Amino acid sequence: IIFSQGNIFFFPPRFISKVEEVLNDWKLIGNSLGKPLEKGIFTSGIWEEKSDEISFADFKFSITHHFLVQESSDKEGKEELLEDAIPQSMQDLLCMNNDFPPRAHCLVRWYGLREFVVIAPAANNDAVLSESKCNLLLSSVSIALGNTGCQVPLFVQIHHKWRRMYVGECQGPGVRTDFEMVHLRKVPNQYTHLSGLLDIFKSKIGCPLTPLPPVSIAIRFTYVLQDWLQYFWPQQPPDLDAIIGGEVGGLEFGKLPFGACEDPISELHLATTWPHLTEGIIVDNDVYSDLDPIQAPHWSVRVRKADNPQCLLGDFVTEFFKICRRKESTDEILGRSTFEEDGRETVDITHALSKLTEPAPVPIHKLSVTNMVHSAKKKIRKHRGVEESPLNNDVLNAILLFLFPDAASDKPLDGFTSTGNNNLSSDNEEYNLYNQFKSAPSDSLTYKLALCLCMINFYHGGVKGVAHLWQEFVLEMRFRWENNFLIPGLANGIPDLRCCLLHQKLQMLNCCIERKRARDEGKKSSVSDYASSTSAGDSGKAGDASGQDHLKDTDKGKSWDSWSDSEEEYFECLSDTEELKGNGQESGKKGGAKELSNLKPEGRLHQHGKLTLLHTGEPLYIPVTQEPAPMTEDLLEEQSEVLAKLGTSAEGAHLRARMQSACLLSDMESFKAAHPGCVLEEIVKWDSPRDYAMGVLKGEVESCETAKPAPAPPQRRIFEDTREVLHYLAVQKPADLARHLLPCVIHAAVLKVKEEETLENIASVKKIIKQIISHSSKVLRFPNPEDKKLEEIIHQITNVEATIARARSLKAKFGTEKCEQEEEREELERFVSCLLEEPEVSVIGAGRGHAGSIIHKLFVNAQRLTESSDEAASMAPVEEELKRTSSSEERRQNSGSDFPAPAGRELILRTTVPRPAPYSKALPQRMYSVLTKEDFRLAGAFSADTSFF
Amino acid sequence: MDEDVLTTLKILIIGESGVGKSSLLLRFTDDTFDPELAATIGVDFKVKTISVDGNKAKLAIWDTAGQERFRTLTPSYYRGAQGVILVYDVTRRDTFVKLDNWLSELETYCTRNDIVKMLVGNKIDKENREVDRNEGLKFARKHSMLFIEASAKTCDGVQCAFEELVEKIIQTPGLWESENQNKGVRLSHREESHGGACGGYCSML
Repeated sequence: IIFSQGNIFFFPPRFISKVEEVLNDWKLIGNSLGKPLEKGIFTSGIWEEKSDEISFADFKFSITHHFLVQESSDKEGKEELLEDAIPQSMQDLLCMNNDFPPRAHCLVRWYGLREFVVIAPAANNDAVLSESKCNLLLSSVSIALGNTGCQVPLFVQIHHKWRRMYVGECQGPGVRTDFEMVHLRKVPNQYTHLSGLLDIFKSKIGCPLTPLPPVSIAIRFTYVLQDWLQYFWPQQPPDLDAIIGGEVGGLEFGKLPFGACEDPISELHLATTWPHLTEGIIVDNDVYSDLDPIQAPHWSVRVRKADNPQCLLGDFVTEFFKICRRKESTDEILGRSTFEEDGRETVDITHALSKLTEPAPVPIHKLSVTNMVHSAKKKIRKHRGVEESPLNNDVLNAILLFLFPDAASDKPLDGFTSTGNNNLSSDNEEYNLYNQFKSAPSDSLTYKLALCLCMINFYHGGVKGVAHLWQEFVLEMRFRWENNFLIPGLANGIPDLRCCLLHQKLQMLNCCIERKRARDEGKKSSVSDYASSTSAGDSGKAGDASGQDHLKDTDKGKSWDSWSDSEEEYFECLSDTEELKGNGQESGKKGGAKELSNLKPEGRLHQHGKLTLLHTGEPLYIPVTQEPAPMTEDLLEEQSEVLAKLGTSAEGAHLRARMQSACLLSDMESFKAAHPGCVLEEIVKWDSPRDYAMGVLKGEVESCETAKPAPAPPQRRIFEDTREVLHYLAVQKPADLARHLLPCVIHAAVLKVKEEETLENIASVKKIIKQIISHSSKVLRFPNPEDKKLEEIIHQITNVEATIARARSLKAKFGTEKCEQEEEREELERFVSCLLEEPEVSVIGAGRGHAGSIIHKLFVNAQRLTESSDEAASMAPVEEELKRTSSSEERRQNSGSDFPAPAGRELILRTTVPRPAPYSKALPQRMYSVLTKEDFRLAGAFSADTSFF
Repeated sequence: MDEDVLTTLKILIIGESGVGKSSLLLRFTDDTFDPELAATIGVDFKVKTISVDGNKAKLAIWDTAGQERFRTLTPSYYRGAQGVILVYDVTRRDTFVKLDNWLSELETYCTRNDIVKMLVGNKIDKENREVDRNEGLKFARKHSMLFIEASAKTCDGVQCAFEELVEKIIQTPGLWESENQNKGVRLSHREESHGGACGGYCSML
């Protein structure tokens, strides 16, 4: 119960005054005439709304002002002159420029209003139901309008909200318009055609004049096409079971799927419009109709898009993103004990075996991948009994071969197997997208890994498969380190800080492998000098001993070849190196410059042009200097934190400089090696004098003196770096991995939509892709981007995919490809692309144009197919069928054209007549009617003179 | 003292070797000038609290090495910086020409899209000028940077450079209030129609 009966007299005044207050607040008082409404302004213009709440007792109403934003603000000047003019809204009732707008508030559609106020129950399930309450509410509104002089129509919503029932009123000086409405489920027969509706309109007006001024008529029939029977959606979901040569279900590794799995266009609505008819020109009654849609002067089409059609690319990326939220570790997912032990155990066994048969870690080219697969299989079997491993062997093998193509080739692994494309397209904006996204180059291992994980997650065992592949990947990394095989698909050199951290880690590992290999090779060549006798047995027990003991115990006679079998032994070799160098150095240190100058110079890059050494007069050589130590961004950040902690004091600053001068120190070492016996001043001379000699570096002189001659590359840190990286890789959970690689996946997805778009050439999509790229590069480069922002990006990509799929669907439906004439095709393509971007597109030439005839055919075909299937179902005799369709409505329709019955008929009837008396002012009258299969609505606006009646 | 500090801002100074980055900083923080200042190794930093429009801001200013060989660490210093001062030497055209490289490095490594940039043409006290003021101004405009000419030696424009930069940062919404609040293009997918009671397809009858 809304208004208590007892309070009925007290309720309205308080309610009314509140309404008046709001109308005053919003400055809706008095008449303000805007410009005449331009054609299409209801669609192209901007609508705004303002809301407030009016409550009485427990019942809350919302009051909302809807209005078209208008440019002209010169209202005030006109106001005085137009005091007697009828309200703007009444004039708008007659305006024909915006009939049947494609998108609008229903009251706009029904009454052609540019501005109105609605009072409705605030809560969605509240309703004003009883007639007496409706009347009460309406009369309250009427009083409020009268009191305030507001000329904006005010509506109240009655009955349940879904019925969209409004009654309202508009008041002007001496004039009033009543807005009334009828809403029915069943349509009385006389309302189904024009002549019946005209009768109602006239009787409603009750105009005393004879003859009546002519009624203007606008009619629109809307036809809906749902069954695209002649057209089948071509996209099949990939076949997941087939694996053909590196492809899974027709989907190549490293490629992303694309397209919608269902038709993303669900309906086509054709509106045939007769915008300006006058009574008497056409006949439309219960037995005959002139209204043939083919002849309608204006056609327009809109398409209804399927809500969130299933799109492959979007699903792929979304599913991958979901891994980011998993909490489990790799081992928890695979259900095993700690990964570290496991991996080591197997690797050790493999290597023990290969050691037995071969004297040295000679690369066995096909070893890595297949070996890993088998060992992994064994391991899994061991730990999980008969349970299947998440990834089947064939898939795993195919993926590993895709990621590590070098494992399959018989080519020696000596050359750096980076993908050659690096230089090729470095200027290419698309290629350099990884800079913006902080992902990885599209031909890199990291990028490929991301795509493989994405696919595995989708098709092959979800997160379990992801964990499995990652484990295999880490094993492969370890294997490569141990066997001095460089990792393919990574650019040379130090980690690229523009890429994602995982990519940097892999590059870091490659740096370590490269250095270790260079060193091992260096060793091998120098072994001969030392004529060592080998006892291979030593290598076996070396494994457990700690590094420090080794410094003493080093067995100098050990075979070089048996090094590098395990990390511990490798560490041992580090200390050996120091001593090796010592042979040359020790004497140098003690003996001073004289002896030093007898040393063989090392590491000379080239001779410096003019400069000579101060003391000896020998030419000065530019030494081969050490590249800066490779670092990944996380380590760099740690360092910068440490440096920041040193504070701003002079001491802090000095210490900071010292800590960062490792590079300088190593330059000095290199210079010394290239110029045995040189002095500090010469080093200063070599490099920028200004930078070296002045100020702060005075403290560094001492370190210069302590610098040992050592040619680049340095023999430090390889072991620590490697252990750090391998450990880092091993402890990454699938969620971490997904976060690392998401930028690569988004990068790939963006490239994919870009590629697909170029085939379709859709301007709006181009623009959106640009926006996605700029947005993504902002989000992805930020450390730890918010999930919400990532989701938004993925959502955008999915939307673009759906739009492209829609474009394809429409092109197929309209057969743009089949169109032979160039001009016609271009026009058709324009039409189709408009369908995607605009709410409603008019058909040039209506039913007689090219697009029109195609649309006509679509309807005819659908109709024919429905009929034939009906026939097949019932096989009813023709006569009987005629009887069945006895309703005049259907017969009438079928007689006129080969279109199906319209899904909706809309009519607008307008006239200007004096009401209620012949001597009253002539005022706008309007009635809108809409008839669909489900319901029927009449919305009338009838104006009357309130002074002369 | 720290309590009334509105915010702490990370400011970076970059530019070619020898353009006077450290001198500008030293002039700003300690009001001293040393013509014989040595090259910066890696990165150094200083802290100073200043007041702009009544707002106190604590500046952590990172002074970076211009020399390539000492710059391996610098990319990590770009992270989280809210402002950057890009310095060139008006008497050395090469330092002006190299600005493009510095901008692209900045573009690559900075983590905020709305970082405020200030271009400073230093050493205007010297006579052998090679870069005209208008050229600097034009370049700054082209890359939407603030611009000022300065001399660390004579103190000209130094204070102003830092103050204007801070003022701009404080005026940029989302740049300093919260780490995560970076404003960007809104890619909203909402395109609801205007009708409150009946949305999108009410047009269909």
